[in-house]
Amino acid sequence: MNRVGLLFGVAFGFLIAAAGFGDADFIHRMLLLQNWYPYLVFGSAVVTAMPLLWLLQRARWVTPLGGPLKLVRASAGRRQLYGGLCFGVGWAFSCTCPVPALAMVFSGGVLGIPVVAGLFSGIMLGDRRAHTRPKANAVNAA
Amino acid sequence: MHLLPHHLPWFVVGPLIGLVPVALYAIANRPLGASGAYLQAILAVRGRATEGWRAWFFIGLIIGVLGAAVLQGGPAFHLGYNFISGWLSPAAAVPILFLSGLVMGYGARWAGGCTSGHGLCGMSARASGSLVATATFFLTAIGVTLVLHLLTGGRA
Repeated sequence: MNRVGLLFGVAFGFLIAAAGFGDADFIHRMLLLQNWYPYLVFGSAVVTAMPLLWLLQRARWVTPLGGPLKLVRASAGRRQLYGGLCFGVGWAFSCTCPVPALAMVFSGGVLGIPVVAGLFSGIMLGDRRAHTRPKANAVNAA
Repeated sequence: MHLLPHHLPWFVVGPLIGLVPVALYAIANRPLGASGAYLQAILAVRGRATEGWRAWFFIGLIIGVLGAAVLQGGPAFHLGYNFISGWLSPAAAVPILFLSGLVMGYGARWAGGCTSGHGLCGMSARASGSLVATATFFLTAIGVTLVLHLLTGGRA
């Protein structure tokens, strides 16, 4: 499973960087609604994945490494709203998110380093909170 | 070396990105997620990873983005934020960017995922919670960006 994780990380990181998402100015224009390319990338990704996952689920697909397929489907609650608000504010100011931030740093974007440091700190704090309030994080989409 | 353009056509890269969570589910029955990978990478360093493969996924992400950067003709050092330099010095930008990352990371754990876990994987699995999270991510980020743009007289 570790090798599978590594390979999927390589593929996902490569594609996010190949879409140019590591460029904060590019994402800034997206959030200003001046650049529609990222919305088209995101939209076409979901439009591709959704019917395929639905078909796999319908076919009762048995995965080679993890048994019968079971999609993780977090039910809606306040935590997605509150967490989403925090995330959205950070996203607006940094114009990057977890994978694009790595793409920025490793393409030489020096100011991506404080963002990644912040992400690590925030994720650790969030994890600590999840352990002190276990009910609030019963279902995790990770 | 410029073997890879800075932005592949959306109709090529978008569907390919969509295939990643599908293949991960089809092979390993696991949901894709980047903030979870950050978490497991920290836990792995402390020898307490609960999903070790996600730490390997994190290492893979670094190899992948670095590979793309090389094919795009890099990596080359740059600040990375042209729009910020219009209204902030790099020294002032560092704490703001750190705090942005912190709030974003905390929010991702609170919401149970980020733009990849909820936005890509959860949305594709038709999860109501992921729809709420993704809509909140986008609407908040767009709203804050537009307000900031107005408040700074178009400099941010």
